[in-house]
Amino acid sequence: MLVDLQGPWSPLFGRLTLASIPYSNPIIIFAFVFTALAGLAVVVPVLYYRKVGYIFREWLTSVDHKKIGVMYIILGLVMMFRGFVDGMMIRTQQVMADGPHSPGVMEAQHGYLPPSHFDQIYSSHGTLMILFAVTPILTGLGNIIVPLQIGARDMAFPTMNAISLWLTAVGAMLIMASLFIGDFSDAGWVGLTPLTELPYSPSVGVDYWMWAIQISSIGTTLNAINIITTIVGMRAPGMRWDRLPIFTWTTLSTNIIGLTAFPILGVALALLGADRYLGTHFYTAGLGGNLMLYTDLFWIWGHPEVYFLVLPSFGILSEVIATFSEKPLFGYITMVAATFAIAGISWAVWLHHFFTMGAGPWVNTFFSVATMLVGIPTGVKVFNWMFTMYRGRITYTTPMLWSVAALILLLVGGLTGVMLANPAIDYTVHNSVFVIAHFHCMVLLIAFTIFAAVIYWYPKVFGYKLDERNGTWFFATFTAGTAITFTAMFGLGFMGETRRLDYLYDPSWQPLLIVEELGIFVYVLSCYFFCRMFYVSIRDRNLNRCGADPWGTSRTLEWMTHSPVPFYNFAVTPHVNARDELAFRRSVGADETPPDHYEAIHMPKNTMIPVLIGVLAFGFGFGMVWRIWWMAGLSLLGIIALVIFRSFVHDHGYLLSGEDIARMEGKASQMSIMSETQDEMAMAEGVH
Amino acid sequence: MVNIKFLARLAALSPLLLLGACSGNDGFRLFHPVGPVASAEFHYTLISTGVMMLIIVPTTVLTCVFAYRYRKSANASYDPSWSHSLPLELLMWGVPLLIVVALAYFTYQSVFLVNPAGPESLNETPGMAMGSDPLQVDVVTTDWQWLFIYPGQKIATIDDLVVPAGRTVQFRLTSATVTNDFYIPQVAPMIDVMPGMRTLDAFRVDHTGTYEGFSADFSGAGFSWMQFATRIVSPDDFAKWVAQTQTAPSHLDYAGFQKLAQPTINEDAKPAYFSDVDPKLWDEVYTGVQQGAVYPVPKETQTKAPEAKMPNARPGSTS
Repeated sequence: MLVDLQGPWSPLFGRLTLASIPYSNPIIIFAFVFTALAGLAVVVPVLYYRKVGYIFREWLTSVDHKKIGVMYIILGLVMMFRGFVDGMMIRTQQVMADGPHSPGVMEAQHGYLPPSHFDQIYSSHGTLMILFAVTPILTGLGNIIVPLQIGARDMAFPTMNAISLWLTAVGAMLIMASLFIGDFSDAGWVGLTPLTELPYSPSVGVDYWMWAIQISSIGTTLNAINIITTIVGMRAPGMRWDRLPIFTWTTLSTNIIGLTAFPILGVALALLGADRYLGTHFYTAGLGGNLMLYTDLFWIWGHPEVYFLVLPSFGILSEVIATFSEKPLFGYITMVAATFAIAGISWAVWLHHFFTMGAGPWVNTFFSVATMLVGIPTGVKVFNWMFTMYRGRITYTTPMLWSVAALILLLVGGLTGVMLANPAIDYTVHNSVFVIAHFHCMVLLIAFTIFAAVIYWYPKVFGYKLDERNGTWFFATFTAGTAITFTAMFGLGFMGETRRLDYLYDPSWQPLLIVEELGIFVYVLSCYFFCRMFYVSIRDRNLNRCGADPWGTSRTLEWMTHSPVPFYNFAVTPHVNARDELAFRRSVGADETPPDHYEAIHMPKNTMIPVLIGVLAFGFGFGMVWRIWWMAGLSLLGIIALVIFRSFVHDHGYLLSGEDIARMEGKASQMSIMSETQDEMAMAEGVH
Repeated sequence: MVNIKFLARLAALSPLLLLGACSGNDGFRLFHPVGPVASAEFHYTLISTGVMMLIIVPTTVLTCVFAYRYRKSANASYDPSWSHSLPLELLMWGVPLLIVVALAYFTYQSVFLVNPAGPESLNETPGMAMGSDPLQVDVVTTDWQWLFIYPGQKIATIDDLVVPAGRTVQFRLTSATVTNDFYIPQVAPMIDVMPGMRTLDAFRVDHTGTYEGFSADFSGAGFSWMQFATRIVSPDDFAKWVAQTQTAPSHLDYAGFQKLAQPTINEDAKPAYFSDVDPKLWDEVYTGVQQGAVYPVPKETQTKAPEAKMPNARPGSTS
């Protein structure tokens, strides 16, 4: 050992002992039982209906960009639910632990959570929501929609796409493991140095946090390479740059950010790893280390990451608002310019996350003005959406409701964001819950657009619409919860409440804390309607089957192929003539009769290598966290061997014949992303 | 300029009035700044908000109006061909640009006024940022207490900041362990307190009063208990307090500090006082950390605090 570890270590089990399992904590026992039941609810039906082979063949080993996208989104939604439970626990602790005379239950002096447990919960809330909920969902949406929008058959590198997914899933699994084996980081999702250094965080929590992010961010980087290559190289004939749909533009800009920013995070965390594992002094307070190095590196990634998330959301808004206003997007060129302006400026604002670290007034002024500049292209976007609605014919489906509410959230978040951009104001509210309320406005704006997108594109992938009635209730309750909770939080910010407090010393905060808690109850209601929306829709799916364009007013290429999309996407690669191809064809009344024969299509084969790499990556992460060197070493060697093995495999595709396509096209409306590809072909065979 | 400022204030005040009933003790600390620095901060909060309102309010209103008016059932005029307008798009870039230029001007003005390392709002005479005779207070944070050292008076306190009214107070801040954040919402600009590094802060309050101060940047298990009282007293009372504290039985030097700096949660922010304090103590802590001094948190403290009481009792507190 190069570093001074507190506690025992053995070659076989590393730092892992029976005492690492927090079996005496009732909250963790409850979480374990809940997770186990949820897991059983998935596993038991799979076993009962003998679907293990199906799950393995059609999902785990799949390289189909749509299935990978769906798995990304399911992962993200599950993690979002866990993140929400964390948020609920944070709020409940704070409302219980206000004032010196507030009672404590279980092991806590105030409230029901002792500080270390509370600190782990808010750290995992942030880490999960940003990196394992919103990021995977947006990545999944990009995965599903972008190839369809540009008329491609799949992503440029289908196998690498699956590897990206499984690496992201491994990160999420490491965080779930930290709940039951050991503990999670209690140093915030940003990993405040030198608190994350061994002397101040001797347990494995920080290691879990570090490796979960490190492994999943490799997945995100690979995905960025994949998406950029797909958009640059695989557009259908006629899909010129000036015809690219806005969602594809924003996904392109986002992944340029992803490709350039995530490696910085990798380096920042690797140096922290060197400190914690090798005893170096990159971020220690003494012996030449400097915590500012970490702070700078982290936020040089961290700020672009914010735009990495928000740009695709802006893309979703552009698609949804144009569709339901029955008008082309106002100011297409300005929109693209604004997107890249935001992406560009996002690199020059990171210091605004630490105006209070004592930089001089000139430095602070530079970053302050740079931050305010972001407001210009963002404002342009808001005006574009506004004028898209102007003289439109707006149908208020649920995606449109989410989008208009997202616009209002963006205005509130933008106003408070520009306030924070002035250091003089930041000095009074930095690290207060005012900042928390501000960035929750922004992240919830992203969540709002995610719900809009999931509802909007769901019929494209599954072939039937989601229930609008329950969807509207879901929207109403979620929006009400947001408004109640975060209005109160802005107020608490002005009262001087700072963030991450396990115990609140000021009893006068009680009324607003209670309001926040009420908002959380409304959010719980929204969870019910969310589940009910899916339950009702899946139950009544055969009543709600839809055609290629379920909304009737869609504009872009993905709505030209069948719903659900066949695994080969387009039977014939479409030729693009205009910016909004479908709207163009609708307006000129283009002839849509199927061709008399189909060309054969080359499709990628499923492979188990990505999921194997995922299993080994989990072994590597878990081994590193607990310092079980043999496990980490063997897993890493296994990953390298698999990658080398894969590079010698030449046969990774097959040819889908024209006759097969003709058969499947005839039965397209009865196909489903859920059914076996072989079944579909057999079904088509039987009809023939 | 006065006109703009006045309008800005008026526009900004409306939502803030809704939030705080603006009585003196409504809990909205940030609406009741004390002293020139905090007042300047609040002043520019209002200006910035006001300038932003010039664009946020019309945009919000128009968005709502368009969203309502052009709903399908309203049968309003419909023009699907209209998707581009050069003058409108120029305006869309131009107006936000003007707003940002205005905001940038006010930022530039305010940044120097409230710069923690030498706020110009404290200038009594031009070029004399700190007044004629500033009171020097050295601040050290430990896990998880505040140590205020008065090198000129050779005294020190824990979790109790006492300063005279009407005199500029100048702080040097450093941490013995991890990063904290020095925050007295109504009084001083927030500034980080970092190990192995020095930050500066300053304020002046002209009236007596007591204000809450606390750490704003998470520092571990005892973070929630890192409060300190900020008592602004009259110069006479301050002199009396100094004289009284100079007779406190406990003394403090670097060796004593190293014991004091072991992880401790001061649950009721109970103050402690030291006399005959080494005036170079702050510098010794600062260089000590740079040379590798750490005050490790035991694993049990990290995972069990604070229901397990801290093992070490704090040396002699008199009050």
